[in-house]
Amino acid sequence: MRRGFRIASGLIGLLFVLACLAWSGQKQPVPVSILMPAPYADASTQMVEAFNREHRGSIHLEVIRGPLETESISDLAISSLLLGDTPFDALLMDVTWLPKYAEAGWLEPLDPWFDQAALDQLILGARLGNHHKGQLYRWPLGADVGVLYWRTDLMDSPPSTPEQLSDIAINLVQTKRVTNGYVWQGRQYEGLSCNFVEVLHGFGGQWLNPATGQLELDATSAARAAAWMQSLITTGASPKAVTNYSESESLQAFKAGDAAFMRNWPYAWAELQKPESNVRGNVGIALMVAEPDQSPAATVGSWGLSLLKQSPHREAAVEAIRYLTSEAAQRERFLNQGYTPTSKSLFTDPELIAVSSALPEIAKALDYSVSRPPSPLYAQLSDLLQRQLNGLLTAEPEKTNRTIDTATAASAAAMNSVQTKSDMLLRATGAEA
Amino acid sequence: MSSKRSWVSSRHAVLVTLLLIWSLAPMIWQLISSFTSSEALVNGAIPFQNRWTLIHYRELLSSDPPFWRYLLNSTVVAGASTVLTLVLAVPAAYVLAQLPRRWRRGIRSGVMAAALFPYVLLFLALLELARNFHLGNSLFALALPYSALAMPLALLLLTAAFEGLPKDLDDAARLEGLTLRQRLRWVMLPLIAPASASTAILVFLFAWNEYPIALTWLSRSDLLTLPVAMARIAGSSIYSIPYGAYAAATVLGAIPLLLLVLLFQRQIVSGLTNGAIKG
Amino acid sequence: MTVLLALPALLLMAVVFGWPMLRYAWLSFHADSVLTGLVPIPNGGANWLRLLTDSRFWLDAGQTTRFAIVSVGLELILALAIALLLDQRWRGRSAVRALSLLPWALPTTMMALGWRWIFNTPYGPIEQVAEAAGFGPLNLLSTPAMTWIVTVLADVWKTTPFITLILLAGLQTIPEDLYAAFRLEGGSAFQALRRVTIPLLMPYILLSLLFRMAQAFGVFDLIQVLTGGGPAGSTESLALYAYLNGMRFLDFGYSATVMVGGFLLLTALILLGALLLRMTGALRAMQP
Repeated sequence: MRRGFRIASGLIGLLFVLACLAWSGQKQPVPVSILMPAPYADASTQMVEAFNREHRGSIHLEVIRGPLETESISDLAISSLLLGDTPFDALLMDVTWLPKYAEAGWLEPLDPWFDQAALDQLILGARLGNHHKGQLYRWPLGADVGVLYWRTDLMDSPPSTPEQLSDIAINLVQTKRVTNGYVWQGRQYEGLSCNFVEVLHGFGGQWLNPATGQLELDATSAARAAAWMQSLITTGASPKAVTNYSESESLQAFKAGDAAFMRNWPYAWAELQKPESNVRGNVGIALMVAEPDQSPAATVGSWGLSLLKQSPHREAAVEAIRYLTSEAAQRERFLNQGYTPTSKSLFTDPELIAVSSALPEIAKALDYSVSRPPSPLYAQLSDLLQRQLNGLLTAEPEKTNRTIDTATAASAAAMNSVQTKSDMLLRATGAEA
Repeated sequence: MSSKRSWVSSRHAVLVTLLLIWSLAPMIWQLISSFTSSEALVNGAIPFQNRWTLIHYRELLSSDPPFWRYLLNSTVVAGASTVLTLVLAVPAAYVLAQLPRRWRRGIRSGVMAAALFPYVLLFLALLELARNFHLGNSLFALALPYSALAMPLALLLLTAAFEGLPKDLDDAARLEGLTLRQRLRWVMLPLIAPASASTAILVFLFAWNEYPIALTWLSRSDLLTLPVAMARIAGSSIYSIPYGAYAAATVLGAIPLLLLVLLFQRQIVSGLTNGAIKG
Repeated sequence: MTVLLALPALLLMAVVFGWPMLRYAWLSFHADSVLTGLVPIPNGGANWLRLLTDSRFWLDAGQTTRFAIVSVGLELILALAIALLLDQRWRGRSAVRALSLLPWALPTTMMALGWRWIFNTPYGPIEQVAEAAGFGPLNLLSTPAMTWIVTVLADVWKTTPFITLILLAGLQTIPEDLYAAFRLEGGSAFQALRRVTIPLLMPYILLSLLFRMAQAFGVFDLIQVLTGGGPAGSTESLALYAYLNGMRFLDFGYSATVMVGGFLLLTALILLGALLLRMTGALRAMQP
């Protein structure tokens, strides 16, 4: 009896072990998770479902919905990465974070999977901000640039120089044809830096010289750019409230018909064509203004997918990345949510142009893309600039009725202050001299 | 005083009511909001009977990870911290209570200084320790810094308790042949039980409510303690008008603490009171 | 050697309290950022030079000090009133005492979430009442002037019970006879407060003041969740700035510098306070 019992339990144990082996030998789909900000996560749900259907049994993709605040997503990711934990395989990365993550060694280079040919079919703006020290770390998902929106019912053609913009805006305000002339983002936040970069390039300057790695905010061009932005407010070309505007406030004002010009991202176009918009059908898109001998500039703000170094499923993750950035995915994202595509060819695609007639203009702007300094310390550099610039814009200067495009003492002082503090920052954090 | 009792009572009633409103109104508002539907939260015109729903609670309890997970994590951390603190502090307090008066004052000042220190400032060094020694994302490892942070208060309360015991007691027990361990276990501990209880509950509350260290030592969503989870919920946009869910989270998170406070209010009060008097 | 019994506790405390400040002091003379691979490299006094000209640091220091002083001041006054109320004997006193303790027991980040809703524009109850009363949208959480008041309110709400208990403990050490004697001499209740209660309560008031000032100076939880330092950095505290430097900017060296700087400021503040108290104490002693 005892022996029989032992044999029976031995057989059952054996069966159990075999069953376990069989179960584990069965191919489980490779889990891939990607962290994205909430809007992008929502926009991708159908694509993710399609991906999982196509790859049933081999890869299972999950999109982790991150916080709404842009910076909070980075905070969330960093808090895990600092502890050596990698709770997801890939991350939707803002263009300004890339140098920081790459420098910290948290990202896996994507060069083995995306070659030069793939890069070449991206539009210029999407090609910026993906590399760090020569290696590719991010594959773009969507690229936006700052553009100048203008009212076609108030003028025949858009201005091309800062002086023209100021003059037209002042004129329209003084003749009461519009309440505000030019609305833009002057609040103390990242949007202000984006605005400033465009103006700076328009005056022939640059924030960071890529060849020397030095900041160039102490050049006259920077002071002139800042002076001009301040003059917009003092001459009445822009309302004083602009110093507290972000994208949504400027869009609100322009959409209500209260402004003649607006600087904003491409998403605004769709908003302005909606039935409740007072300027529907009367909006044009142009490049930001620049001095006659300078090239106009458009600050690029793009999102892309980066692979984390510690990911245990690289191949599968790259597969997901490719899918989410494929032309089909771009097309769907554009048609459903208005996210700008990254492939050159899609900008001349008739189906897309039929939906948004602004697409060719945006494509043109993307060819004039400029990026913000690709420094791992960009967030701090931008903070220094925002503070001084917003301070300059909100200060009470002497009243003047002329558009200023020469440096003023105040603007030069502000820019020099940013330069000095930025240099101190770089030196103190161990940047090479 | 007693002769004026009746007149004083009516004025008191007003003040006491104000006090209660001040203390409880925010929580009561959360309670009401947590049962209010998202539409009703933004539209005051919806009639009374149509405003109520359980959906916020349902969403919280079915989310990933479910909300009760955070309560569990906090309990584990708080429990471990309390045990560790008491295990270390009781013997230490016994020793400190026997030191000569001069030494005791010096050590008490040092301990007081530590109790005053704004511990959020410790986060960076503790983060470095977590990185170097792989202490991150571990609920039990978190008990180490928590015990240290709670130690000053524990030492103050327990030392005072030991000092309050009759001097001869220890000697008499020693004469009876009891070892140190036995003396502590069978003679001292029962006598300082009230102080130990106060210390335990105060340490538990502290560990439950601590935020900066937990924030930097925990990143995995299934390991978060309640305060960190609440902060993450605050930053999320899972719900279109999130405040119903926020309110429900607040209510659920508050329930264990309310129970603790109501059950142990005597210990809490006496703990803080004694800490103040002896400190 | 029974002294060994005390060693683990004291050692743990020494490591957790003593080590960080030493480490920060050392780190503040090094570059330790993402540019150095989070490895400290000596950089002389560059961090300190940067701190001296860092307008964000000084702005935050001012904001934090203002917050601490106003908050603790209000808490003391409110706590004294509540303690006086709870000191007297009436029915249901201990129940009320327990209920009034609830705000202190709740995690700050949790209530911060609650406050965001309560002060929400336009749907929160406060805003609704203001609109109904005709005060129009208060925008309490989007204007710098009003937001810091909300943070003070939230802080006062949470920590007043703690001070109340301490003051209550102090009140209970004052013998009844003193009040009786004072009243026999014809003094009013208010004078009793000034001449008897407050002087005898001084050690407890000072203890609360000291404790709360240090805690309020390091305010972090509330600010991070309620306002995130906004709007436009107007409620950002030193602790939050130090945290951002470390966790967001990956600049550990400067984060350490900010914390040492903040700690030095706090010490200076406390010493200044002590000095002021001594001077006013001396003045009062000179009165007849």
